[in-house]
Amino acid sequence: MTGRGPRFLPKVIAAAALLPAMAMFAAGTLAQDKPKPKGDAAFGEYLSSLCVTCHQPTGKAVGGIPPIVAWPEDQFVAVVNSYRWKERDNEVMQTVTAQLTDEEIAALAAYFGGLPNQPDVAK
Amino acid sequence: MINRRHVLIGGALTAGSVLSAPSVLAQGKPKVVVIGGGAGGATAAKYIAKDSKGEIEVTLIEPKEAYTTCFHSNLYLGGFKTFDEITHKYDKLVSTYGIKHVRQWANAIDRDKKQVVLADGSRVPYDRLVVSPGIDLKYDSVAGWGKEHEEVMPHAWQAGPQTQILKKQLDAVKDGQTVVMIAPPNPYRCPPGPYERVSMMAHALKSSGRGKARIIILDPKESFSKQGLFQQAWEKYYPGLVEWLGPKVHDGIKSVDPKTMTVTTGFETYKNCALVNVIPAQRAGKIVIDAGLANQTGFCPINPENMASQTDPNIFILGDASIAGDMPKSGFAANSQAKVAALMIRGELTKSRTFPARYANTCWSLVAPDDTVKVGGRYEPKPDKITAAETFLSKLDETPEHRKQVQTENIGWYAGITADMFT
Repeated sequence: MTGRGPRFLPKVIAAAALLPAMAMFAAGTLAQDKPKPKGDAAFGEYLSSLCVTCHQPTGKAVGGIPPIVAWPEDQFVAVVNSYRWKERDNEVMQTVTAQLTDEEIAALAAYFGGLPNQPDVAK
Repeated sequence: MINRRHVLIGGALTAGSVLSAPSVLAQGKPKVVVIGGGAGGATAAKYIAKDSKGEIEVTLIEPKEAYTTCFHSNLYLGGFKTFDEITHKYDKLVSTYGIKHVRQWANAIDRDKKQVVLADGSRVPYDRLVVSPGIDLKYDSVAGWGKEHEEVMPHAWQAGPQTQILKKQLDAVKDGQTVVMIAPPNPYRCPPGPYERVSMMAHALKSSGRGKARIIILDPKESFSKQGLFQQAWEKYYPGLVEWLGPKVHDGIKSVDPKTMTVTTGFETYKNCALVNVIPAQRAGKIVIDAGLANQTGFCPINPENMASQTDPNIFILGDASIAGDMPKSGFAANSQAKVAALMIRGELTKSRTFPARYANTCWSLVAPDDTVKVGGRYEPKPDKITAAETFLSKLDETPEHRKQVQTENIGWYAGITADMFT
């Protein structure tokens, strides 16, 4: 978790509570005893279509494109934020993350975090 | 924190209770037909089939068994990839997602009956049609050259046998001989493509002891994509080997003669060329022009929010054939547009959740071994066109380490997008 994490945490939960569709996916994990942000994985699946042009959903890594599945969600959020805030230096990542909201990044973290890392599975 | 997106999500909630077949459609599953199995069509077919989980019947009309990508075909010319490595089969789309692959040429679209007419005369009905036909070449745009000359003076702007012909001719060029590329006028498929191609041809010549050959680019345009980056690279890696001539210098490309391998401009006549690569002017694939979906530009106006034709809301037009505003005609762009169209089509046919369109593109160009430059951006639908929200371009003063890293991105992206399209 980055130092900036707590700033958006309540907003994510508030936003999520407005989404009845969330109930199908993650309501249980939003209970007060689990303070970690939990995004809407279905929303994340839609958003993920932008990512999987380069990052393979099986976790297979080729060349300079790293795997992004099965990460702890807080780490995923921190890494995406580092590009979004232009702390890390990659023009493609800086550009595609620039418009993402906290809620969207949480959703992506939930979706990719829930994918198994199976780079050698032939589809 | 209520915004437009949430309103759209909310709109989908009512559908949750009535997920069964929408009554507005004919009996049976809704049908989506996709014409063309490139970056737009293959991606759209896959995402509609995958995400509808059997609720939509998807048919892909594509005569070929396997698809050779235009993107990275220059790396094949440069000796960095094999032909097999840029060729991909459709079989996984059939076995994994249940897509029906009809291996026929689509002759026409009967918009009144909502049917696609195949080469054998049979008809395939659709509720929504995705058309991603790519480009057609304007064979009459270069005087003296036509379809009957494309094996002597190849275009190689539709990948496949043409790409192999160009490679064979490049391999046969002798040291000291002249190669001419006639570059295309705007708009055309893959804006940096001709110039990456020249870089790869120059690399192939120089690295095989043919450094005294020369490549002349005759360009009808005053400027071109990533021009500063390409020209810097040509000066650095291939001095004296590559010469770019704009229209003010060459004073017009007057004609070519395939019999004598001659190219005549207002400025100079190039005789006995070893290779002439004619990349002609382009328009959208014939099928969308015949169907009345293109305007006077030869390309198809679309709705920026969902890629639907401005002429027929049941037809979605992707990739090079569309007028996609600030987005270039590229495989990445077509793949991005396909995902938007797939989402919106599912929303229309099964009332699944939809979200505002987001588009992205990046074009990597290899200029020399381990030296790659890139241009890209993200794009948003605005009422008049798909509009660039943020763009980037490689800088002239980047370190060799950085450029090498960008090439690893390029390799990884290719593996990613082809997996996204075909598996």
